[in-house]
This record gives sequence, structure tokens and C-alpha cells, in this order.
Amino acid sequence: MIKIEQISKSFKDTKVLNDISFEIKKGDFAAVMGPSGSGKSTLLYSISGMDSISEGRVMFEGVNITLLQESELSKFRLTKMGFVFQNAQMLKNLSVFDNIILPGLVAKKESAEKIRKRASKLMEQMEITGIENRDIKEVSGGQLQRASICRAMINNPEILFLDEPTGALNSEATDQVLEILKNLNQSGMTIMTITHDRRVAAKAKKVLYIRDGQVAACKEFKTGDDRVLELDNWLKGLQFLTTNNGI
Amino acid sequence: MKLLLNLVRKDFKRNRVITTALAVFLILSAFFMSGGLRVTGIMISSLNGLNKIAVPPEYVQMHKGKYDEEAFKDFVEKQDDIEDALVVRMLDISNGHIVYKGESLEKCLMDNGFVTQNEKFDYLLDQNNKIAVVQDGEIGVPVYYAEDLNIKTGDIITLRDGNYQKEFKVSAIIRDSTMNSALSYSKRFLISQNDQDELALHMGEWEYCFEFLLYDNASITVLENTYMDAGMPSNGVAVTAGIFNMINAFSYGLIAIVIIAISILLITMSVLCLSYIIRATMAEENHSIGEMKAIGIPGKEIEKIYQMKYIILALAAAVIGYLASIPFGDFFSETVIRYCGYGSSQWMKWVFPFVGVVLLSLFVMFRCHRIIRRNLKSTVMELMRGEEKIKKEGHYSLPSKGFKYRNLIMALGELKCKWKEYFVIFLIFVFSSFLILLPMNMNNTIDNPTFLTYMGIGESDIRIDIQYSENLIEQKEAAMAYLEKDSEIDRYAVYQNGYVQSQNVDGEWKYIRVQNGDNSIFPLEYLEGNAPEENNDMALSYMNAIDLGKKVGDSITVTYQGKELIFRVCGIYQDITYGGKTAKAAIDFDIKDIEGYMIYMDVCDGIDIDKKIAEMRTALPDSKITPVNEFVFQTLSGIVENMSLVEGVAIVISLLLTILITIMFLQLITAREHSAIAIKKALGFSTQDIRIQLGIRILFIQFLAILVGTILANTLGEVIFAGMLSSVGVAKIKMLVEPVWAYLLCPAVQLLVVVITIIIGTKIIRTYHIRDQIME
Repeated sequence: MIKIEQISKSFKDTKVLNDISFEIKKGDFAAVMGPSGSGKSTLLYSISGMDSISEGRVMFEGVNITLLQESELSKFRLTKMGFVFQNAQMLKNLSVFDNIILPGLVAKKESAEKIRKRASKLMEQMEITGIENRDIKEVSGGQLQRASICRAMINNPEILFLDEPTGALNSEATDQVLEILKNLNQSGMTIMTITHDRRVAAKAKKVLYIRDGQVAACKEFKTGDDRVLELDNWLKGLQFLTTNNGI
Repeated sequence: MKLLLNLVRKDFKRNRVITTALAVFLILSAFFMSGGLRVTGIMISSLNGLNKIAVPPEYVQMHKGKYDEEAFKDFVEKQDDIEDALVVRMLDISNGHIVYKGESLEKCLMDNGFVTQNEKFDYLLDQNNKIAVVQDGEIGVPVYYAEDLNIKTGDIITLRDGNYQKEFKVSAIIRDSTMNSALSYSKRFLISQNDQDELALHMGEWEYCFEFLLYDNASITVLENTYMDAGMPSNGVAVTAGIFNMINAFSYGLIAIVIIAISILLITMSVLCLSYIIRATMAEENHSIGEMKAIGIPGKEIEKIYQMKYIILALAAAVIGYLASIPFGDFFSETVIRYCGYGSSQWMKWVFPFVGVVLLSLFVMFRCHRIIRRNLKSTVMELMRGEEKIKKEGHYSLPSKGFKYRNLIMALGELKCKWKEYFVIFLIFVFSSFLILLPMNMNNTIDNPTFLTYMGIGESDIRIDIQYSENLIEQKEAAMAYLEKDSEIDRYAVYQNGYVQSQNVDGEWKYIRVQNGDNSIFPLEYLEGNAPEENNDMALSYMNAIDLGKKVGDSITVTYQGKELIFRVCGIYQDITYGGKTAKAAIDFDIKDIEGYMIYMDVCDGIDIDKKIAEMRTALPDSKITPVNEFVFQTLSGIVENMSLVEGVAIVISLLLTILITIMFLQLITAREHSAIAIKKALGFSTQDIRIQLGIRILFIQFLAILVGTILANTLGEVIFAGMLSSVGVAKIKMLVEPVWAYLLCPAVQLLVVVITIIIGTKIIRTYHIRDQIME
């Protein structure tokens, strides 16, 4: 579905991403981990076309999105991608419900009525009904993050990008979001997330470890729900390797 | 101190656009304030200087025809209040007999008198403000004509009547402390005694000005009444020092008032911008302020850091504004300097603007101090958390059906929530629109023939003046006979003028000028009530109504020939002629009391007015015949010229401010909304969508502001304009608006300027990367 081919990105003299290549297949759940400043977020924003790259290309279903014009990219993001940010970024002058339906109305793929119905259904699935007309400052962080996921899902995107989706949540809210992500992936949604949280990464099918702008290691989980232990061991080993072999 | 200056330098570099825009606002405020006060200073100095040397009389009574010289001498000797008196002998020569460069002055509406230099007071001065001296064969030309006809020294003026002709070489351009202004309908040419005697043998008619200087504290009204009661010669106009001053203030002061009014508007705009910018920048600095407070830096020190920038700005603006206003003020003072000279108190033109800019700077600093102090009141934690002390903005709803005009819907929705943020730019756009329209409407009003209605005259095509003549009746009869026969005259009305006495609010008896004639032929718009219809009706000019303390419906007692006549005040009208004090009533004056006749007429459709006038001047050589539109033009042309300049300056300034405030506002708003812009981009809104949304918000506000500005210019503008004209007898004025300019072209230009500014100012959004915005 998405092929990342030798992408690099530099800020002045510093190379933030260095010759990265990997692939995300349809139905994948990929988590990107790594220390602060390793280039995780830059990678996510580069893949999703929200940031430019210096070299390489990103192929999305055969389309080289690095060559698209700004307006084409906007349309692409609107219809094919969904985004969830660390601090649920919402427009403060719209109610929770209107924030959710906004991308649907802008995309104009369906009638306003259908979009509203789907938004209500998504809110039901995320268990946040009853806050539709509230101001975004009147709901909890967990509710807002779930509303962000609803908004990301409103246009039935092909892939969902998440940037530290639980970074600003307490453990109860984190559990709720994790459950939602798992269910979404099980229903066929392709997901790519940046995370520091082992529990989030443990839900993924594939984990990429980024260090100094390069993919230092990659792990694919075969089966099983509770992969936390397996992930821990992998990360421990990775740390060992990192310190001793300088991966 | 060095550290503070370094901080300021860095701040200037970081906020270059906003600081520059703010600096321009402050500089323009200081510039106009200083310019207006410079014009005021020059005007006061010039008038004082002229009066000091020329020594104008405090009371002047004009008279045509013979008088008893002994009786006048006796009268003067018996009056204790009179310090000095003189009789100016004026040889009135018909305009048609005065020729300059082959053309006669018959198109001029002024009455021209040829006089010799006075000996005791009321001197005619040359362009160096020295008492003018002319030799035989030389002439001193009033500065009014020098300006109007571009007459220079060395030019030749010819006086011609029948076979007699005499040439005069212009040796001086005359400043006349009593008759300088275009609002004064008499002008004096200075010639030698020999030449005057010679001229009198061949042409002209004698008119006398009985002029008086009074001791301090003596009452002009008392003298005026005593003079009339004593039966002294008085078949002409009487003018007092108050009227001279008023006419001068109107002629030269109106521009100063308009410039100062503009500066007050600009100061208000600057202070609004300042408040907004300080609040906006302080909100961004909350964290740093919190840190400074946390490490124990005292509030006063923090205040200094943030105030320093604005103190430097205010002082720099004051210095630049003051210096730049020197040529500006001098440019708008050219007329008063030409007419009155530099004067004796030139320090005023330096000190007045200096005091003005110092006060302006202090005011700006005080405002900054207050705003900054208010912003520093938050606790350390409030500041560190970045809690803005703003009320919740609330939210708007997306439409339940369709989203076709998404940018429009979102822009207006956001505007609904953030309207408080836009209030400042709205006010500035209102002021800006007002600033363009007020001088434009004022200029249009003055420059329109219907302005006649404020001169106590109904709209008509031609006016014939038959005044101060010994054969008034014959001249009037000749004119009427001509008009009766002429089929090209559509209609005409004859009015006679005379004087009656009435008591003012202080119980003093005053002479009032009454016009008698059919008021229905050329109707006048009345402030209150209507024109006299019955024999006992009297209409009063606005200033007379105030002076006499009368309202419509009141009864008014006047005395004429010792008899008391009781009238009912039927209406109040506006009139800026004769010092604003006239009346209209059906009083049948004795022939000897008639000061003059005025005939107003309309020509038939399709008749060329100029041709008709030329024809009438040949048929009625002794009467003064003027096209009425020329009457307004010649009276107010000097003012209109200056007003046109002010109008041009106001348009340029206003558009410049509109550009500046839009750029400044866009900078602030994109900085404040960077996160919302990023979210929109992430959700699929293109850069163009975001630019359009910002544009719609600003243009919508501007559109509303133009509407409000236009309404204000028509309503409040009328009040301001009437206020400016109230000293000369206008209480209420109807602004005459040029609709294509005021309602179409001006708003279109303002909107276009903002559209272009938005297109350029929002280009920066293209360079915003979603990642940077969201991760910040």
C-alpha cells in the first residue's frame, strides 16, 4: 500500500532521516518507536505528505505523493488518509460533532446527512455519545482523543496515521484508545503510529525502531494478543545491541 | 540600560512588520497633530501681525452719497468711547471699467473701491507688512486679485470709461486687514491722492467708510446704536471687529481645524492599534514574563523592559512627525501668509506643534504603561501556563445541509466567535472610511451651487445687485423694465434691503438687516418653520435668532422710523453673509432707507447663462450682474482649493493606514491561529482555502466598517461640519454626497486595496508546514 523508498530529510546541515526504506501493506498495524529526536515524527509527517522530503520517494498505491502539488496533496490527505495527533488538535470554534464531520463535508463524497449519520455511529462505537454539542474545552482528554479518531475515520480513509495517540492520556483513557485501535485494525484498517508506549506498540503487527534517522531494527509479531513481554525482550536486546554494536 | 536597548533592538528585528506599521501610525498621528498646530500657530501669528501694523477699525459703517461732515465731526467729539475715527473716501468704480490684460473684471462679484493710504489707522500694507506707499501712476492691488488673476508688480491695470482711460503700474500687492478675505465683498485698490482726484472727475461714485477705534472695554453695540440714533450716514453695510475676526477665522482657520480633526482620528486609531498589539505580543510573552517573575525580577523592571520599546517608538514618531510637519504646515499656510504675512509671533509655529507632540507622546506612553501593567498582574503560574485572560470564544454550527460555500461558512462562523478580536480592525476601517469621506463630502458640499442655501439665497441662475447708489430707484426700474421685456427670462424676484432695530437677549438695541420681497419664487430651505407669508411674519437667520433669543412662534418687536412693529417669527434659516445676521419680512422701507435692491432670476431652459449675462451687462451697465454659481465659487474658492488638497491627503493617508492595519492584523492573526491553520491543512484544506477564509473575514469586517463609516460621515460628519461653520451662521448642514464617488468608487478602492494586501500578506501561509505548526 505505501512504499517508502530511500527517503532522506535534512534541516540545514543536519540529516534527520537518512535513507529509510520500508513498506506498509494493506491491513498492517505498524508502530514506530525510538528515542526522542530520532526522527519518528518527521518520518510520519514525511510519509503522509505533511512535510517535504529531501530525497527518495513515497509511493501510495502506486502514486508518487512527493511529486503532487499542494492542492492535490490536500485532496489526497482528505480522502485517503486519517490523522490523529498527540494533543487532539481540534478547531476550537466548532463543537465536538462539527469537528468530526468537517472533513466529510469538505470531501463532499457523500451527502451531509450520511456524513452526520456516520459520525453519530462512530461516536457510538467510540463510546462518546452525549458530548456532540459541547465545546472542545468542555470534554476530557480521552474523549477528545476518541473524537479525533472519529474525525480521522469520517471519510473512510485507507490508512490511519497516529502521532503519539496516548501521549497525553491517563491509563484508563489509554486503554480505551488501544481497544479502539485494535478493533479498527481487526476490521481491516491500515494503521501507522508513532509511540513511546510499549502497550501501544504491543498492539501493532510490525514495530520499526528508529535511531539517528535510520531504521535501526524491525520486528514483526506473528500471533497472540499480549505481545508486551515479547516486545520488552526485543527492546532490551535492541538496547544491548545499540550500546554494544552501535546499530 | 544597554541591556534594555539590546532587548528592544532584538524585538524590533523579530517583529519588523508590526513595529514598522505601528511606527507609521504614530508618525502620522504626530505629523498631523504637529502640522495642524503649525498651521494654527502661523495663522494666529499672521493675523496678529497684520492687525498690529494695520490697526483695523473696530466699527465700520459704509455709506454712499453725500453726508454732513460737520455733524460727523461733532458726533465723534461728543463720544467718550471713541479713541479715534476717520472717514475713508472710496471711489467705487464699476468692475466693467477695470481692465487687466485686455479683460475687464465684470465677472468678479467684488465691489472695488479706489482709496488713498489712511493716516491714523486701517493702513493698507504691502507684502513686507509695511505701510504701502504708491506714487502717481502707480496702484496697489488687493492680494485677492493678485491670487485670483495672477497679477504681479510691474503689470498694468487700465481704468476705462467712455473716452477716458488711465493706466496704472502695479507697484504693490495690498494686504487689507478688513477686506482681505474672499468672504468680504468689497476690495480696496490703493492709489495716490492726485490720481484719485483725477479719476473722480471722469468716473466712479463716492462711497465713505466711517471707521472707529474704541477705548478698551467700550461697547461696539452702544456705539452702533448711538451712531444710528444720531442719524449719522448709514445707507451701507455696518461691520464690527467681531465680524472681521469671524470671517478671517473661517477663511484661514477651517483648514487648520480639518487637519487637527484628522490628527485626532489618527491618534485614536494609533492608540487602538497600540492596545491591540501590546495585548497580542504580551500574550505571546507570557511564559518569559512568568519566568522573570519566578526568578524574582521586580514587576517595575519587567514593565520597563516592555515599555522601553513603546517609549522609543513614541519619541521617534514625535521627532519625525514634528520635523516632517514643517514643510506640510508651511504648505497649508501659504494662503494665510500671502494674505497676512508671517506676523510678529513666529515662535507659535514652533512651540504649538512642539507642545502638541510632547502631549501626544506622553499620552501614548501613559496608555502603554496602563496596558502593560494590567497584563503583568497575573500570577507566575497563570503566566507560565499561558492562561489568557480572555472569555470563552464559543463555537458556531456547520450547516445541516450542504457545504458548498465552505470557506464562506467557516470564515463567517469563525468571525462570529472571534468578533472581539476584530473589533479593533473594524474601528480602524470605520475611521479610515470616515477619513476619506468627511473631507470629500465637505468639499462637495461647499463646491456645489446649492451651498447658496446657506448664504440665505434660494437657488437661481443670475443675481443683480443695485446698491449704494443715489439713483437706486431708476436703476431698479430700468432693470425691471428690461426683465419684463426679455422673453428668455423665466422668472425673477426683486428684494429690497433695509435696517430696523430690535432688542437682543442682553436688552441692547441692535440694527438688523431685513430683506423684503416675494420669498415663494426662489424658496429657501428653512431650518425651522417657513418663509414669511403674512404681513406680520418675520424669518430670522440662525445667528440672529440666537442673538435675539427668538424661536419660531415667538413675537418680535422691531422699531422702524420710531414706530414699534410687532412680528411673529415664522421661520429660521441659515445665512453666512453679512456676519450671519439677516432677516426677511414684508417691511415697506422708505426710498431713503433702502440700502439696495437684489434681483434674482432664472433663465428659460436652453438659454446660455454666460451669454445672457454679457447681454444684460451691456443693457444695464450700472448694475452688478453675477452668475449665482460664480457667487459661491468666488466667495469660497480659496477654501475649496485647500479643502481639495486636504481631501487628497486624507485619501492617501487613509489608504496607507488601511494597508498597514491589514498587514499588521494578518501577521498577528496568523501567529495566533497557527495551530488552527495547521489543523485545517492536515484535514485537507488547501493553502488557498485558508487564505480565502482569512480574506473573507477581513473583507466582511471592512465592508461593515465602510457602511458604518459612510453613515457616520453623513450623520456625524454633518454635525462636525455644521460645528465648524456654526461661527459663521450655519446651524445644520445637509452634506451633499457625490454618490458615485462616495458609495461606489471609494468603497471599491478601499476594498481593492485590502484584497491586494490580503493576497500579498497571506502568501506566507504557503510556507507554513503543518508539522512545524502542530509540533510547536
